[in-house]
Amino acid sequence: MQKSLEDKFLNDFETNQNIVHKVCRIYTTNQSDHNDLFQEITIQVWKNYSKFRGDAKFSTWMYRVALNTAISLYRKSTRSVKTRDFSDLEFKIKSIEYDDTEEQQLKALYKAIQVLNDIDKALVFLYLEDKPYKEISETLGISQVNARVKMNRAKDKLKKILNP
Amino acid sequence: MDVLDKYKKAWDNQPNDSEKVSKVDIYKMMKSKSSSIVKWIFIISILEFILPHLTFFFVDYKEYNRIYSDLGLEQFAFYGFAITYVVYAFFIYKFYLSYKNISTTLDTKSLMDKILKTRKTVKTYFIVNLSLFFIYSAIVSFITLYDQLKPASTSKILVFTITLIIVLSISIVIFWLFYQLLYGFLLRKLHRNYKDLAKLDEISQ
Repeated sequence: MQKSLEDKFLNDFETNQNIVHKVCRIYTTNQSDHNDLFQEITIQVWKNYSKFRGDAKFSTWMYRVALNTAISLYRKSTRSVKTRDFSDLEFKIKSIEYDDTEEQQLKALYKAIQVLNDIDKALVFLYLEDKPYKEISETLGISQVNARVKMNRAKDKLKKILNP
Repeated sequence: MDVLDKYKKAWDNQPNDSEKVSKVDIYKMMKSKSSSIVKWIFIISILEFILPHLTFFFVDYKEYNRIYSDLGLEQFAFYGFAITYVVYAFFIYKFYLSYKNISTTLDTKSLMDKILKTRKTVKTYFIVNLSLFFIYSAIVSFITLYDQLKPASTSKILVFTITLIIVLSISIVIFWLFYQLLYGFLLRKLHRNYKDLAKLDEISQ
């Protein structure tokens, strides 16, 4: 029983691991913290996997556990580091006007999201992943109206960072 | 076109398998130990429940009980201990309940609510425990004082009382600072995120 649950988890998790990598890339700024958070999310998803009933999509459920781990359970905070990187970041974003490839844009986008606070990060991430407001409000535990207001503010902040 | 649109396109087109972790590594990770905030709150809380009992190793309670019987306080000591342990049992039960209710599958706000509530239970336990300790110490000290210093002058009693109050107050402050430092460090991020998430809800209520 345990063995088959483990196998099922490994399949589900491996297929959807890109969600976890994106969350780690948003909430950490170096590879060692990335791996650390990835491991903690793996533990949390596994710990709760037996509670996953399959009435929602596994990926939807995984967004919640991954974001909860990053926002509430993970001990390290990288906010101050990010603020210090800010001027450097602006310079880099300005320079991409000359090299406007998608890869550069993606790098700039990640760097800009990293400057936001933890809650705005989650909002922007869920927007980029095309999640409907209903799901966003259920994931974060706020009303849909509040989710909309907060989302607009977070997007404005992000735009200002990307296009100062 | 919105500024975000071109970045959104880059986001949608990002490669999915650049950092792929193998099943073997995922298996190793799922079996490793968590180091989450909740785990640390749990460890520290258990220590808070156990630590006061470690005094059994350092204090000779036989000697201590003799003080009670010498002062005719045996009944007081008995009821005192009984109350203390009822309080302990109540808090351990409450702590266990709220710890059990913490689950990462909750929505973010409820999860933070639950973590902060668990933390509050332990904090209340600690304060109650500390208060009981100081109340008992104060009562026993004053009765000892009254018993032994009866023939002493009023000024001597006054000096003793003031010294006692100062020592007790300093101990409380040291305990309190240590405590704030421990949890403040652990929960700073959580408090900040909770505030960020709950701010708008409070305004619109």
